[in-house]
Order: sequence, then structure tokens, then C-alpha cells
Amino acid sequence: MPDKESEKGREPTGIVLTPEQKRRRRSRSVAIALVLGGLCLLFYIVTIVKLGPNVLNRPL
Amino acid sequence: MSDVASREYELTGAETGAAEAVSFASVSDYIALLKPRVMSLVVFTALVGIVRAPADVHPVIAFTALLCIAIGAGASGALNMWWDADIDALMTRTRARPVPAGRVTPREALAFGMTLSVGSVIVLGLLVNVLAAALLAFTIFFYAVVYTMWLKRSTPQNIVIGGAAGAFPPMVGWAAASGGIGLESVLLFLIIFFWTPPHFWALALYKSGDYARAGVPMLPVVAGASETRRQILLYTLILVPLAISPFALGMAGLAYGTVSILSGSIMLALAVQVYRRREGAMADAAAKRLFAFSILYLFLLFAVLLIETVQSPTWLGL
Repeated sequence: MPDKESEKGREPTGIVLTPEQKRRRRSRSVAIALVLGGLCLLFYIVTIVKLGPNVLNRPL
Repeated sequence: MSDVASREYELTGAETGAAEAVSFASVSDYIALLKPRVMSLVVFTALVGIVRAPADVHPVIAFTALLCIAIGAGASGALNMWWDADIDALMTRTRARPVPAGRVTPREALAFGMTLSVGSVIVLGLLVNVLAAALLAFTIFFYAVVYTMWLKRSTPQNIVIGGAAGAFPPMVGWAAASGGIGLESVLLFLIIFFWTPPHFWALALYKSGDYARAGVPMLPVVAGASETRRQILLYTLILVPLAISPFALGMAGLAYGTVSILSGSIMLALAVQVYRRREGAMADAAAKRLFAFSILYLFLLFAVLLIETVQSPTWLGL
């Protein structure tokens, strides 16, 4: 297994993203997270609205 | 290569092997794929459909319906941009769109459009009702497949028939609120349906060079400007009385009657101007005026319907 010191000096291989590309990827990830969070909230609220007072009415 | 040009090349990535592996798009590119300006008109007309429907709908359900309709409309816009990237690249009006500009790959646009289409229909069906979901699915199919893939490149009647896709949202909103389809929702559909040809042909009159270059058989390209002016006038003659009909049939109040008659008269006068001024800068100016006013006209009609409804004692529960 190569040690970390020898890895440091080596040129990176494969696709190397520019800082701008990394920034864009990060902003896309944040947007996806916000959309998923919003969807969870929407499903939760609609469930409460549809069930109404029955949301607490369940046999123990 | 300058720094800016070099960075643009890197970000475009169209000619690199990395283009398939890494997305170069920003969030705003994905938002642009949704055609936000079209989406805003869809949301507005769908809201009028929801509010005008004779049913009590919970605000959260109404919001959910509106969100799904907006996302569905945006998804069909993304599918349109995926399919039309080749001709969009040839037209000045559309060549800066994310796909022809190389910021979003066609595969990304397709995946984005399909995911949102399926998602919006399923969520609308599960959380609101199945009829509204079926109508939304049909609207997306009509815009993306019937209009974009079939009619747009094959007939000068493309925007006449394809206009139905833009006319469905108030009907979807009505169905979401009431679970049915009423006569008034059909009237709202017809108003947008007959509004679309004069609106788009006015634009096509002064952008016909663009459409000709892209090989899109818009009416001015195929039948000539003269025939287009005649058709604009004919469709406006149908549209104006149709827009007044909700008042004439007792479905809308005096405010709507007044606005629809006044704004309809202006719309007709502008269509007559387009018909009479056939050459030079005056002709282009007349077409631009009609195009701009047609947007205001549709907005006014639906805004007054909305205001009349939300101000009525019945709607307020008084």
C-alpha cells in the first residue's frame, strides 16, 4: 500500500474539477437537499391535513 | 486562449470526455430548463381554475395542486428543450438556452424532464385527485410529444393545435379543486386556446427569419406574412367574444364584463393594425405591440376573474 507522502507528489489522474465546477456541483447538491426536505415537509403537512383530528385516533 | 474563454471551454465540456461523466450545469441552468416565464402564466391560470371551481378546497391541497401543475409544466418545458436543442441553436431567441449553449447535456435535460413529469403526476394523483393527475399527464404528453416532437416541425398549424397544452392548466386546477370538469373550465380552456395563435403569430411575424433558418414551418414562413395577418385577425375575432362570454353567460360579474369588453376592443384594434400595416418598421412595430398587449390581455381577463371570486362574500364564507 503506497504511503501518503508518496501520493502527495503525484499528479492527480482522472477527471479533475476546477473550483468553479466544484462550486456548481455543491450548489446543485444543496438545491437537491432543499427540494427533498421540502417534499418531506409537504407530505407531512398533507398527511395531517387529510387525516385531520383522526391523526391521533388509533387503537393502543 | 484568454482566461475567460478557457474557463468557458472547461465549463462547457461538450468536446471533452468528461462531459458525460460530470455535470457542468449550475442550479440556474436547471431553473432555465423549466421555462419560468411560461411556468408563471401556467401557475396563474391554474390558480384561477382552482379558485373559480365550485368546491371548498383546503389551502394546503390547493397549494400542492398548484405546485404539481407548475412542476409538470416546467418538466414539459425541459423535455421541449431536450428535443428542440438542434433548432434552438439556430434561433437568436433560443440559442442561449442551457442545452444548445452546452451548459446542460441533452441526457441531463431528458432525465430532468422525465423525473419531474412522472413525479408531478404521481404526487398530484396521490395527494389531490386522479382526474387532475390524468389531465396533467395528458397536458405534458400533449406539449412534449404531440406539439414538440410531431406538430412543431411538420405543420404551420403547430401552435394552433399545440396551443391546447397551454390551455389545459385552468382545467387541471378546476379538476384538482372540484374533482370534475365544469362548463366554465371549458370556457377558460377555449379563451387560452384561441388566444395562442394571435399571440404566437404576432411574434412569428417579426421573428420569421429565425424560424425560417431553423426550418420550423411557422405560418409566416410557409404561407407568408399576408396570410398570417389575416389569420391573426380571424382568431382575434373569435377570441374577443369568447372572452366576453363568461360575463354574457352570467358566470362573471360586471367588472369582468367591463374589462373583457375594453381590453378586447384594444386587442381587436391592434389586430386590425397588424392586418393593415404590412411593410417596413411600422409593420414590425404593430406586430410587437400586439404580442406585448396579448400577454397583458390574458393576464387582465384572468386577474379580474380571480379578484371577483376572492372578493365575493360566498368565497370569503360570509
